[in-house]
Amino acid sequence: MSEEIWDPEIAELRERQRVAREMGGAEKVALQKSKGKLTVRERVDRLLDPASFRELGSIAGVGTYGDDGELLQFSPSNFIFGRGRVQGRPIAIAADDFTVRGGAADAAIHEKQVQAEQMANDLRLPLVRLIDGTGGGGSVKTLETSGFTYVPACPGWDWVVANLGTVPVVSLGLGPVAGLGAARLVSSHYSVLVKGIGQMFAAGPALVTAAGRAVTKDELGGAELHARTGAVDDLAEDEAGAFAQARRFLSYLPSSVDSLAERVTTGDSPDRCDRWLDSAVPRDRRTTYKIRRILENVVDRDSFFEIGRRWGGSIITAFARLDGWPVAVIGSDVMVCAGAWTAEAAQKLTRFVELAETFHLPVVNFVDIPGLMIGVDAEKAGTLRHGGRALASVYQASVPWCTVIIRKAFGVAASGMANHTRFRYRYAWPSGDWGSLPIEGGIEVAYKAQLNSAVDRDALRLEIAQRLNRVRSPFRTAEKFLVEEIIAPHETRALLCEFANLAAPLRKQGRAAFTFRP
Amino acid sequence: MALYSLKADTQGMVSAIDIVAGDRIAVAQVLLRLEIMKMEIPVETPVAGRVTAVHVKAGEYVSEGQLLATIETA
Repeated sequence: MSEEIWDPEIAELRERQRVAREMGGAEKVALQKSKGKLTVRERVDRLLDPASFRELGSIAGVGTYGDDGELLQFSPSNFIFGRGRVQGRPIAIAADDFTVRGGAADAAIHEKQVQAEQMANDLRLPLVRLIDGTGGGGSVKTLETSGFTYVPACPGWDWVVANLGTVPVVSLGLGPVAGLGAARLVSSHYSVLVKGIGQMFAAGPALVTAAGRAVTKDELGGAELHARTGAVDDLAEDEAGAFAQARRFLSYLPSSVDSLAERVTTGDSPDRCDRWLDSAVPRDRRTTYKIRRILENVVDRDSFFEIGRRWGGSIITAFARLDGWPVAVIGSDVMVCAGAWTAEAAQKLTRFVELAETFHLPVVNFVDIPGLMIGVDAEKAGTLRHGGRALASVYQASVPWCTVIIRKAFGVAASGMANHTRFRYRYAWPSGDWGSLPIEGGIEVAYKAQLNSAVDRDALRLEIAQRLNRVRSPFRTAEKFLVEEIIAPHETRALLCEFANLAAPLRKQGRAAFTFRP
Repeated sequence: MALYSLKADTQGMVSAIDIVAGDRIAVAQVLLRLEIMKMEIPVETPVAGRVTAVHVKAGEYVSEGQLLATIETA
């Protein structure tokens, strides 16, 4: 075998790469595994398509050298990044290595993080962050090792923010995540904490306990907690589940705002119609029904992917496909607060509309809204301002938008079903029931004087209700063309597939006028 | 045997309780009902087993995430 000129250097490169792939060493790797966590290398391999990882900065780290200049010891940086493929599509991947100094910043090379974010932006690649680090500052010990302190700034934050308006960003919380790591986790279009191993907090249990309240990591910032606060979008049962969710989320989106989400063949006929939908909504307005069953039925089979199930529950947000086209689905869930907009639901809606607008996804909105949530707690939560913000995002949105009124539509919240000044691409089911105020709640206020002077208060109340109910028919509204078209529920799928096909060529590439914020 | 904590997915007033401690229950059985914004929301159990404790009373206003009942799973 012939010897090439640079063979010694190539051998040294391979050796340095080999050592870097050993991460924090056998002992730290064993510790990582003992916590039920995969190593950073295993994570990258499992998320990406087989053998598709192309690492950058593979030998960046800290070396110690002997007097003769020989490398004695090498500790890799605790953040690796590069490119790979997910379902055949190139993506950028950035991953923390907890086995090297707990992922803390004192073992970091910040420029790698900056370059990872910038690469995703410049190359228009979806970005997946696998976060497993304690934070940006390391410990206060670094004061002694570096001999100075500094005014804080999050490295690469201009890119982190720019990416939210440019490429899909998914972050998975795969360990205890505080400070900078937490900021990176939430600054994503889709964030997930893995049960048992992923937690997120501004500061960990040690600091909180020192401040006077003893807590565990999961009590302070576990997956179950933050999937309910909405600080992250969802939880996953395990790491494999989180990787599957990340892949699924990305499958509905374009690689960047400069392209459009692709149609796939779902094999589900746009003309499929199920007659049970005509009985899906009960006649008794006090009685609930399960909207997810309806949504899953009208979209392409097995295409419904819910985001944020555990928070702001009166509004459901999901990606789905209609005749193969990806769409953003919004739906009211009457099983939570009767479908009323709570502060959390309004925030969830705002973010989701911004997400749809950013990536040019047409919106389909299924409405059953009795109004804004009422009561002292709702007022204390600032529901009105959050509702106002949701209305603003709906009215600023320019993506194609189709509304289906399932049942109730009352008050300001329901008026946010769509921007009514656009062409009203809207259908209503025969169960439609709408107005400024629901009759049941409004009579007492509107007819107060009459009721107070009545001999038989209840009888008069009933009589008034009967009078009002006679004009409640949705057909009277349609007669005045105040609702555009009433349809049989079983027709919904075909009409929505028509919408998706009409909307597809209307989608416009490029940076949206307003884009997503965490 | 494991204990399952049935929590409220919505806030609301407990309008009816359909079970008592000791009852055997099946998956998707309605254990109680919550009233909010003039809707009656049935609370179904996702697990089968035996009710060991009911933690709320009729007429009580519960918040989202509040513990409603404890179930010993079969």
